[in-house]
Formats: sequence, C-alpha cells, structure tokens
Amino acid sequence: MAKAAEIDVDPFEPYALAAARVVRVRAEELFAHAEDVLDTSDIERVHDMRVASRRLRAVLEIFEPCFPKGDFKTVLRDVKALADALGERRDPDVHIEAMEAFEKDVQAAVRPGIDALVARLRERQSRGNDTLAAALEQVRECDLHARLHSLADGAEELIVE
Amino acid sequence: MKARRVKGLDPEAPLGDNAERIVRVRLDELTSFMPKAADSGEIVALHDMRIAAKRLRYVLEVTGDCFGPYAAGAVKMVKDLQDLLGEIHDCDVQLPEVSAFLEELVAEDVEAAGATPKGLAKAPNRRTYAGLVALHVHLRARRRALFEQFLELWLDFERKGFAARLAFALSERSQSPET
Repeated sequence: MAKAAEIDVDPFEPYALAAARVVRVRAEELFAHAEDVLDTSDIERVHDMRVASRRLRAVLEIFEPCFPKGDFKTVLRDVKALADALGERRDPDVHIEAMEAFEKDVQAAVRPGIDALVARLRERQSRGNDTLAAALEQVRECDLHARLHSLADGAEELIVE
Repeated sequence: MKARRVKGLDPEAPLGDNAERIVRVRLDELTSFMPKAADSGEIVALHDMRIAAKRLRYVLEVTGDCFGPYAAGAVKMVKDLQDLLGEIHDCDVQLPEVSAFLEELVAEDVEAAGATPKGLAKAPNRRTYAGLVALHVHLRARRRALFEQFLELWLDFERKGFAARLAFALSERSQSPET
C-alpha cells in the first residue's frame, strides 16, 4: 500500500494555511494513483487510490471551516462519489482474494461452493469496474483536480487578505 | 455515522488550537461507544466505533505532530483498533451475503429437485452447499476470535490510560511559538 506523504505541520501556523498545504498534497496523491486503476489484474492500484481518496476526504472534513462554503460542498460531494465508486470495485477484489486464500486451506469437497461464490464476486467486480470507469470520467469532466487546488487557494487567500 | 460537529474552529487561529478541538471531539466520540460495543451482538455500535476510530486516526495522522509526544504513538494504536474493527465488520458483511447466496442456490434446487429424494441428483447446485456452509462456520468462528481480540485490545488501551494520556498530550505543543 502506498504510504501517505509526511506533511510538516507547525502548531502555530494559521489553520487555513495548513489546510491549503495539506489538501494540495493529498489531492496530488489521489491523482498520482489514477493510472491503470481499472486493471483488475493488479488490485493494489485501486486499493492505493481508494486509500488516497479516503485520506483526501478526511482532510477536507478536518479543514472544512477554511474553505469557501459553496465550493467545498460540491468538491466534497465529488470526492465522496469517487471514493464510493472505488469501494464498489475494491470490496469484491478483497472478498475474491480472501476466498482464494480460504480455498487453498480447505478440503476438495468444499471448493465447488467457494468457486460459485467467487464467480458471483467476479460479476460484482466487473460491475464495480464499470461504475469506477464512469466515476473517473465524471472526475475528468468536472475537473475535480483543478477544483481541489482552487479550494486550497481559497483557504490561503483567507489569510493573505 | 455522522461526525459530531466541532464548535469554535477559526481559520485564522493557530492550527494546534483548532486541531486540539477536533481531536478532543473525535476521541470522545470513540470512547463513547464503550461499553455498548463490548456486546458482540451490537453490530451497529461496532461499525460506528470503527468509523470513529478512522476519523480519529486521520486527524491524528495530519495534526499529531502539533501535540505532545504521546499523540504520535497514539496514531498506531488507533490504526490497530480500526483494523481490528474493520476485520469484524468484514465478517458482519460477509455472513449475511453467504447465507443469502446459499439460500438463492437452494431455492433454485428446490425448483429442479422435484418431490422424491432421487430428484436431488438433478439439483444443479448440490455440490456447492458444503463449501458455503463451511465458509459460514469459518466466518462465525473468525468473528468470535476477532471480537475477543478487540476486547483484549480495548482493555489494554484502558490499562495504558490511552484516552487520558492522549487528552493530556493535546494540551501540549510540540514546539514553542518562537521556534
């Protein structure tokens, strides 16, 4: 799993300046993991992007009072939608992996039932991938990346002004 | 679970003071689930406690360096708690899914089997039952073991004075204003 970047914080710096810096870093981490995330042969990609989306969502909520209200609301909504779509793909990935590990440790008579469940989970994984593809397209269309940076700029301007 | 609102946050005030307010609320949120979550049947309380642990962990990951040294170590403790509660939650999600899938396959077989025992040979899913029942048993046993671990971990938190020590660390600052 990709480790989140350490961000230096100063307890005496203004809350809004920290908000701008932290959100920029977490936003970059999210988009750095977007490449080949739809590839089901490497499930770590979607895991890394999902973790990055959770961290980004968390910092948006931690620093909420520092951002322009209207912009914050729509950005948070879009980050949540992306995180949910990543979850739709990730949940069956994890379940399939667990079932494959379980199957290795059980008697042959048990395997047909687990195979049937894995087949069902593969269908869910495929639907999850379609959901994720649509969500990624939506992220591009609404230019979430730029809007996150604009949100950070808004927090910074609060102090500069 | 909706996060409790944190009052008195000021964008122009120091990060440490704002972060202290947030962490205090998130810590209180986490501890408020005990003793209710000590009942293994309280699936919702356990799930909400996991969410509370996640929120506390994330705010400490970002702002923990503002506070006294105990806060940095607390991140790892909260992560361990969140991970354990996450594994319990996975069992709570998978158990009804496995039961529902088995019921679906059995229902299909009821249609195909007819009224005599010999008809069972025509049931298309007859070889899947053993695996799904075995999985159900495994998930219940695993869930029970994880829940025992959770109780032990929480007891360890209490023995170590986790909440009080973290609360104290929040009143400290990792550096002085002039440095």
